[in-house]
Amino acid sequence: MAVRLAAEPFAAERELAEFMQGRDGDGAVVSFVGLARGRGPDGEPVERLRLDHHPRLTLRSLDEIAAAALARFAISSLRIVHRFGAIAPGEAIVFVAAAAEHRRAAFEAADYMMDRLKTEAVFWKREERSTGSHWIEPRDEDHGARRRWDEAPCPE
Amino acid sequence: MRIGFFGPLRDSLGDEREIAAEEGETVAGLRIRLAGLDPDARDLLGPQVRACVGDRIVGEDFRLDGQERVEFLPPLSGG
Repeated sequence: MAVRLAAEPFAAERELAEFMQGRDGDGAVVSFVGLARGRGPDGEPVERLRLDHHPRLTLRSLDEIAAAALARFAISSLRIVHRFGAIAPGEAIVFVAAAAEHRRAAFEAADYMMDRLKTEAVFWKREERSTGSHWIEPRDEDHGARRRWDEAPCPE
Repeated sequence: MRIGFFGPLRDSLGDEREIAAEEGETVAGLRIRLAGLDPDARDLLGPQVRACVGDRIVGEDFRLDGQERVEFLPPLSGG
């Protein structure tokens, strides 16, 4: 399955191994794994992340990002796996992979999917610490990264 | 009618509430009514909280028939 939500921990290496199978027409696979950090931006320990999601809109937002990546880059296929629920430090939150005939398209598609996932995927993220918990909003840096893809020069 | 909440709104308002439907009520009207019933629901009055019916984000003039579940979505955190 190209796009999937995961309620339980998943093995990113298994996702990559599956995605790699039967790729004799491709010349490149790029993958990325995002992990839950054990420390917050202030350096203090985080016990877990909790991702609230919507039963229908979340998967649809991932599907839309996947479809846009397929339309925009010369890639042959892609995969997105995204966790929801309680996520412990060191566990994978997200896995993305793109396969293409040439490496540039695969790199760019993976980068593009991550920038859009970080700002537009339908999740609400809470950092839980021994001292309490708080909801996280996307950073300006994430919005800046997302905008890069709108500002690309027109192809000649 | 059933009203669902997500993200930070769950902390203040719970996962779901049930209130009596009012004929011809719009999403805007529902927000104001909820805010009048519970001070915590004033969070729903901000324009950044979107309303969803079925699988669609709906505008403020959308008329509710009382049968649907209305969901309020605060700004996203992203993945």
